[in-house]
Amino acid sequence: MSNIVGIDLGTTFSALAILNGIGKPQIVPNADGERLTPSAIFFDEEDSELIRVGVEAVNSRHLNFDRSVRWIKRHMGDKKYHKKIDGKKWSAVELSALILKKLKQDSSVEYGEINDVVISVPAHFDEVRRKATMDAGAMAGLNVIGIVNEPVAAALYYATTREVCGKVLVYDIGGGTFDVTILDVKGHQMDIVCSQGDHSLGGIDFDKEILKFLERNYKEKFESELINSDEERAKYEDEAEDIKKTLSRRSVAKKMLYGPAGNMKVEITREMFENEVSSLTSRIDMLLEVALEEAGIKPSGIDKVLLVGGSSRIPVLQQRLEKMFGFAPETTVNVDECVALGAALHAGLTMLREREEDVPAGIAASLKDINLIDVCNHSYGTICAPIDKQTGRRVIANRIILKKNTPLPCEASQMFYTMSEGQTVLESTITQGEDTAVEYVNKISTHKFKLPPDRPANRPIKVTYRYDLNQRMHCKFEDIESGKVHEVDFCLDQNGEMSPKEVKKRKGKKLKSVKVE
Amino acid sequence: MPVLLILILILVPMAAMAFLPGSGGRFWLARLINHFKFSRKRSASRKTRSCQSTGFSEQLDSGTLNCRARLIKQGTDDCIFDTIVVEICGSIYIPSDDYYAVVGISLSDVTHPTGEAMPVHSSTRKWQGSSSEVFCYNTDIGRLPEGIAKLTDWTAVAQLSIDWLVFPRKGKRKLRLSVSILSRDGDEKLVGAQSDFTYENPRFGYLDMQENIQQTKSLAVALAFVVGVADGKLLDCEIDLIKSWARGNIDNSQISKRTRRKFEKALDKTVGFFRSGNQVDVNEICREIAEIAPLAERYDILELCMHVAGASGSVGAEEMTVLKKLAGQLEIDIDRFRDMMGRILPVDMHSVEDAEVLIGVTSDMDKEQARHHLNKEYRKWNARATNSDPQVQNQADYMLKFIAQARSQYVG
Repeated sequence: MSNIVGIDLGTTFSALAILNGIGKPQIVPNADGERLTPSAIFFDEEDSELIRVGVEAVNSRHLNFDRSVRWIKRHMGDKKYHKKIDGKKWSAVELSALILKKLKQDSSVEYGEINDVVISVPAHFDEVRRKATMDAGAMAGLNVIGIVNEPVAAALYYATTREVCGKVLVYDIGGGTFDVTILDVKGHQMDIVCSQGDHSLGGIDFDKEILKFLERNYKEKFESELINSDEERAKYEDEAEDIKKTLSRRSVAKKMLYGPAGNMKVEITREMFENEVSSLTSRIDMLLEVALEEAGIKPSGIDKVLLVGGSSRIPVLQQRLEKMFGFAPETTVNVDECVALGAALHAGLTMLREREEDVPAGIAASLKDINLIDVCNHSYGTICAPIDKQTGRRVIANRIILKKNTPLPCEASQMFYTMSEGQTVLESTITQGEDTAVEYVNKISTHKFKLPPDRPANRPIKVTYRYDLNQRMHCKFEDIESGKVHEVDFCLDQNGEMSPKEVKKRKGKKLKSVKVE
Repeated sequence: MPVLLILILILVPMAAMAFLPGSGGRFWLARLINHFKFSRKRSASRKTRSCQSTGFSEQLDSGTLNCRARLIKQGTDDCIFDTIVVEICGSIYIPSDDYYAVVGISLSDVTHPTGEAMPVHSSTRKWQGSSSEVFCYNTDIGRLPEGIAKLTDWTAVAQLSIDWLVFPRKGKRKLRLSVSILSRDGDEKLVGAQSDFTYENPRFGYLDMQENIQQTKSLAVALAFVVGVADGKLLDCEIDLIKSWARGNIDNSQISKRTRRKFEKALDKTVGFFRSGNQVDVNEICREIAEIAPLAERYDILELCMHVAGASGSVGAEEMTVLKKLAGQLEIDIDRFRDMMGRILPVDMHSVEDAEVLIGVTSDMDKEQARHHLNKEYRKWNARATNSDPQVQNQADYMLKFIAQARSQYVG
């Protein structure tokens, strides 16, 4: 039987947790003995096949910025992103795979071969990004059995280790992303109500505001730029992060700035910091309010607020939560580790559902009472041409069929009609997104559905979408009159740019030969 | 024919209308009743307010069929509909027993001094001819007995909603009503009748609309130039855009090369007019457009203006002010205006950040309204932030930051 593992592949830090013999998750330290591994990569200058991942990579940024990579999670799903090292182009998926390979490698020292994993992703990650994450896992030699939303993983861990009951709001702000998930928890029964997320709101954005403050102050004094190279920027980014962390413990942080025009001491108080990040805290408040509106719950209807992610330690965030909900948020669990721990639990639940015979009895007994009802993370629809009521003209619009936050498994249908006489082809596009404007939704796939000839317009076409617990989507386009059906099945490992063959091929080419330390 | 028999032939069909099953008359009366019922069902509170007859000639010839149109107003206090009640009286000769007959009704506009008749069109497919939009109403009157059927009183055979009819022109129209009794297969016309009446058409007719379309497009070109010069200079890219639009939209498919050259010359003169700093009465232009152009065309005009504003790659404050003013005067609602702006002039083209244009928040909103509105905008743009198109992503990221700043300003 293989190990059951969960991985939190974070923007700034990653962690791996394994289910022990009695079904309790535990963090597996890396080769340096650290429970968290920085999600940073550095390509060795002398040996380009040697790649450092972790603390060493973070420190090496100051020496050669061009050979370092950080915050790669922000580029997941971006087909245009590449990092060029020694003439070779590395995609975001490949770079993420290096981090996963490091985690796998380090944990296998103590626990043996790691195969079956669940990797966590932000709740707002779309299908492209989820697929990219799975591809990265496959490239790293992992069998990714599922993807779990980070707030859900955290809630799973909280609910199985603490007394959690009622309407729970998970407030997950990590290094690069911010997610809010609202669940209904009754013991080990967890029903997700809704999720909302902001893809570029995290600890690194707070660091950037501090950095702007430092640059501004330096320029005011010396009329010169503080930072003149990427390496200096990397160094001051770390300083800014350090200031942020200090201000979580103390009311004032002091730093020396060693710039090209001179040196200066900078003092930043907590109030000054809160002023600098006011637009970020406004965004956080808006996301919270939007999530509550979507769930149809007022702040007074929330029974518990769970904090997840290192950035949740920032005092002003906790104060604003207390102000909004009338009580202090839950802080008894390690906010940096709960996602990985929850992901391991989710892996156990997935294995129980799909390969029960491979789950050790102790783990099965521990998990058997846990029931998690997940929801559709995004709305799915199709492109159609309705008549604009105001103008009387046909417009091209996205029509949602399967709504976001529908409990899984779910199915929905809508009736459409052919547009023209003698229409023999229907271009069926499956979309993901909340907009009616087609330019703002992601087009997942497009197919041509052949129809019988010589028919008048307005023939009914029934479109049915089904989304199951294993994140597989089934789309059916049915011509009611003739009974002809066009079906599209896709799951995360079968759609998008990288086919399984391509993933394997690329893994064979690049990752097998590289050494990750 | 004995008098008694004639009386029977008159009275029995009339009685049959009410009582005898299977008779064409009852069917006929039943259809009229059903038509009234149907008319009532459309609006539960609708009732006939008054029956007004307008200027109908009633030169009756009892030996043949006569027809007339009676205009009535139906509706409630809030909404009144014009309806033309078509009535016939006189004689109908039925050549054989159990003759299935239909009433055919058409209308033509004979207002023109020469008496030239222009067809009245139907707005609904149901009453259009097989190959045209000409109004052609038919209703089954069932089986009629052989002989002469006499209607001594005016009898309603149809109620035509004015909404079904599209006249050639707006205003006081002289209309000719034509009623025919035909065989069901339409092969045989038993009898016909005509009468004229007048009607005050409050809506633009189809000929008006054709002319209005051309006029609207000309006015659109004028407005486009107004936007072009809003920032004090008319750029070549703006002129090219307007000229290209004008060539593509103003119908010159039937005109000669000579006329086309004149058209180009006119465009050049217009350019010269605006480049010299001359102005036009924008208010008057917009007023006329709002009067003659349907909403869809007004959207097209505003889109053209937006494209002109963005032709140089950025939109300045003066252009933005003009666009906002035009949207108001063309009676385009603010949400639609903002949607169009988002599509055609994305935020990265704006040289000035206008919160009302970008996110729709105004200074007259209280905190709660502003908060609710900003949350709505936040939800919209946050959903777009993970779009696979980098341009959309960048736009969304920018908007999220802007919305967050606006929250501090408007909500605190």
